[in-house]
Amino acid sequence: MKDDMYEKMARAIVDGQRREAERLAREAVEKKLDLLAVIQSGFVPGLQRVGELWARGDYFLPELMSAAESMKAAMAILQPELRRANVDTPSRGRVVIGTVEGDIHDIGKNLVASMLQAHGFEVHDLGADVKLQKFIDRAQETEADFICLSALLTTTMLGQRRLIEILGEARLRDCFLVLVGGAPVTQKWADDIGADGYAENALEAVKLATRLVERKKGNRP
Amino acid sequence: MALRIKVISPARTVRAKPGERLADALERAGIPLRLDCNKRGLCGKCFVEVLHGQLPPAAAKEKFWQKQKGLDKNYRLSCLLEVKDNLEIRLPEESIAQEVPILPRLSPAAVKPNPAVKKYVLELQPPGLESPTSLFEKMLVELGTDHLRIPLHLLRQLGPKVAKADYKVVAVTHRDKEILAVEPASDSPRVLGLAVDVGTTTLAVELIDLESGQTIDAAATLNDQARRGADVISRITQAMSGGIRAFELTSLVLNSLTRLVGRLTRRNGVLPTSIYEIVVSGNTTMNHLLLGVPVDSLAIAPFHAVFSRLPYLAAQEVGLAAHPEAKVYFSPNIKSFIGGDITSGLLATRLDERRGNLLFIDLGTNGEIVLKTGKRLVATSTAAGPAFEGMNISCGMPALAGAIYKVESGARGLKLFTIGNQPARGVCGTGLIDLVALSLERGEISAKGNILNKSKKLRVTRGFSLTQADIRHVQLACAAIKTGIRMMLTRNGLRESDLDRVFIAGAFGNYLNIRNAMAIGLLPSLDERRVIFVGNSSLAGARLLLLAVEERERVERLIQKIDYVSLASDPRFQDAYIRALEFKRWP
Repeated sequence: MKDDMYEKMARAIVDGQRREAERLAREAVEKKLDLLAVIQSGFVPGLQRVGELWARGDYFLPELMSAAESMKAAMAILQPELRRANVDTPSRGRVVIGTVEGDIHDIGKNLVASMLQAHGFEVHDLGADVKLQKFIDRAQETEADFICLSALLTTTMLGQRRLIEILGEARLRDCFLVLVGGAPVTQKWADDIGADGYAENALEAVKLATRLVERKKGNRP
Repeated sequence: MALRIKVISPARTVRAKPGERLADALERAGIPLRLDCNKRGLCGKCFVEVLHGQLPPAAAKEKFWQKQKGLDKNYRLSCLLEVKDNLEIRLPEESIAQEVPILPRLSPAAVKPNPAVKKYVLELQPPGLESPTSLFEKMLVELGTDHLRIPLHLLRQLGPKVAKADYKVVAVTHRDKEILAVEPASDSPRVLGLAVDVGTTTLAVELIDLESGQTIDAAATLNDQARRGADVISRITQAMSGGIRAFELTSLVLNSLTRLVGRLTRRNGVLPTSIYEIVVSGNTTMNHLLLGVPVDSLAIAPFHAVFSRLPYLAAQEVGLAAHPEAKVYFSPNIKSFIGGDITSGLLATRLDERRGNLLFIDLGTNGEIVLKTGKRLVATSTAAGPAFEGMNISCGMPALAGAIYKVESGARGLKLFTIGNQPARGVCGTGLIDLVALSLERGEISAKGNILNKSKKLRVTRGFSLTQADIRHVQLACAAIKTGIRMMLTRNGLRESDLDRVFIAGAFGNYLNIRNAMAIGLLPSLDERRVIFVGNSSLAGARLLLLAVEERERVERLIQKIDYVSLASDPRFQDAYIRALEFKRWP
C-alpha cells in the first residue's frame, strides 16, 4: 500500500501534477507516515526520473517547470510538519541566486532556483538585474554556501567576472562557492574567471551543487 | 574574330574578344561573378576552372591566390586572365555571386513623387554690361528663392562650370535649401536615389529615379557582419570590445553596401555620382553600427539607443558611395531595439491610418510586434532568435537559392520545394514551419515537441534531418512570438478574434504557409484572408521616405506616439512563455 503511494507520489512529480502532489502529501501527513521516507522514496525518485527524461530529450522546459513546482508544493506541506515534529531536515545547502545586473532574463535562472529548491536546497532568489554587491550582502546575511549567477547576454556575463574580483578584493572569496550559468556562458569562461563551477542547465546545476556541497562538508572538521 | 568560351555549369557559350579579360566577357553575358574587389586581383573570389584551351602564363597575383587557396594551375582568376584561345571552363559555386531574392513589394503605395532632391534646368542670362548681377544671384532668381546654401568648392567652380555649359545648367537641390550640384544641361544628368534596408542578416537596395519616381533596379546581399555573429547581441558584444572590432563591423556593412551599389549602377549603366540621396532603414543596432556610434547603452538593461531621429547626414561622412554632396536620411528608431525598419514598415502598411485592431509582426531575428488598437500604438520586441533565418538549426540556412522553403505532404512522402529550384542545400525558416506542422499532423512529433520515432530524427531528404535539438529551437522561437502577441493582446483588452488584420513582414515574405503557422500556434487562428504579407516593408517604407519628403516629418511625429512595452519585465511573461512552448493552435 505504501509502495503504491510512493509510486503515485513519484508519478505526480513526473507528470507535473501539482494538485495531486499536494493531495498525496496531505494524505501522508494524515496517515502519519514516516515523512522523511515519503520524501526520499516517494517524491524524490520522481525528480530523478524527470532528470533522466530530460537527459533523453523527452522532457523539455515546461515539464521541468511543472515537476519543480509540484515538488515545491509537496514540500510546502511536508516541511512544516517535519519541523513541528522536531525532525531535523537540514537543507542540502544554502543558495543565493539571481540574474546579473543589466540583464533582465530570468526564465532559466528561475528553473535552476526551482530545481535546487525541489532537491532540498534553501534558495534565496534575488530576481533579475541584481547589483553585484547585493549578491554578496545577501550571501553574508544568510551564510550561504553558494552564489549562483545567471547571465544571458555576452555583455552582462562580464558581471560574473567582476563579482569574483570583488569577493577577492574584500577577502571573501573563500567564503562562498560561485557558480555561473546562462546561454553564452561556457566551462572555459567559468575556468577563466575563477568560478567554482558551471552548469549548462537546471539539472546539471543540481548535480554540481550537490557534489560541491558534499565535498565542502567532507572538508569540514 | 571572336573567341568562344564554353561554360559548364551554368551551361552557356560566351563570346570574347581576343585579349579581353575573361571576367569582362562573362559579366557581359550576364553571369554574376563575385567581383568583390572590382577586378583588381585583390580578393581572389573570381576563380574559374579551365578544362580546355591555351592559357597565357599566370600573373603574380593569380599565383598568390592559387597558393592561398591551394588550387591547381588550371584554376585562374577571371579578372586577370586574358582570353587568347577558345576555352572550356567551369564556374565553381564559390565564384558565383549569390543574389538574394528580393521579396515582392507591397502594391506600391501610390505616392506622388515629391523627393527632397530636385532637379532644375536653368537658362541663365550670359553676363552683359546691362546686367551686372552676380552669377549666384542670377541663379537664385531663376530658382525663385532668396536663400540657398552652396558648398564652398562648388562656389569656386561655379563660374567656369556655367560658362563652359553655355549658361544652360542643371541645378540639383536638396529640400530647396541647398545646392548639391550644378552640371551642364547638355549632359542631361540623372538624379537618382537609393532606398536601403540594412537588415541583421540581409541588405537590400533599390535604385530609384527621383524625377520619375520609378524604381530602376533592386538587389540584395548577405550582410557581411554575419561573419561576426548571427544576431544583434553578438555583434553588440564585438563592438563593445572596442577599437578595431567596432570599426570592423562598420566597415563590413559599408563594404557590403558599396558592393551592392556598385553592382546596381554597373548593371544599369549609371554612375554612383548620380545618387544624390540615400534613405537608410534598419533596426536600431544596425543603424548604430553603420554610423560607428557606440552600442554600449544597447547592451544592458534598460537597453536604450543613442539616437532615434537624425538630421540629414553627409553620405561622404557616413562612407556611402554616392555623389560627394549626397545626403543620408535615416528612418527614425522607435525605442530600444525597435528601429527604423519598423518605422518604415508602419509607413509602408499605413498602419496608423487604417481602422480596426491591427497587428504588424516582423518575423525575423528580433521579432518586433506593433499593435494598433483605437488610437493607441504599442510596440515590443520578442527576441525570437535567428531560428527563423535558419541559424542554430542543424540543416538550416537563410532564404537563398537551394533552401527548402516549402514542404507539402505528397503521395510518396514529402514534397520539397527549393528556392530557384536548385538542389536542396538546407532548410530555411518557412520550410521549418512546414516541416514541424506536417510532422505534427502525421504524428511524428508530439505537441510537446518530442520526436516520436526511435532514431529521434526527422528525415527531410537525403543528407538532412531535423534533430530533437532543432525542434526545441523552433519551439523557443515560436514561443517568443506567440507570447509577444498574446501579451500585447491581453494587455490591451483584446482577444485574437478582435484582430482585423495581421501584417507579416520580414524574411518570410510570401512564402509563409499561414495554415501551417496557425496549426503550430505561431499565429493566432484567424480567417486566412485577414493575414497580409508585406514582404520587405522596411525597404518599401524607405522607398516612400525617399520619394515623399513630407512623409519624413509625419513619421517622426508618429513614432513619438508609440508606446514601448517590455515583455520580459511583465511578471506574467514566464508562465505564458513556458506554456507557449507547446505546438498548439490558438486560443
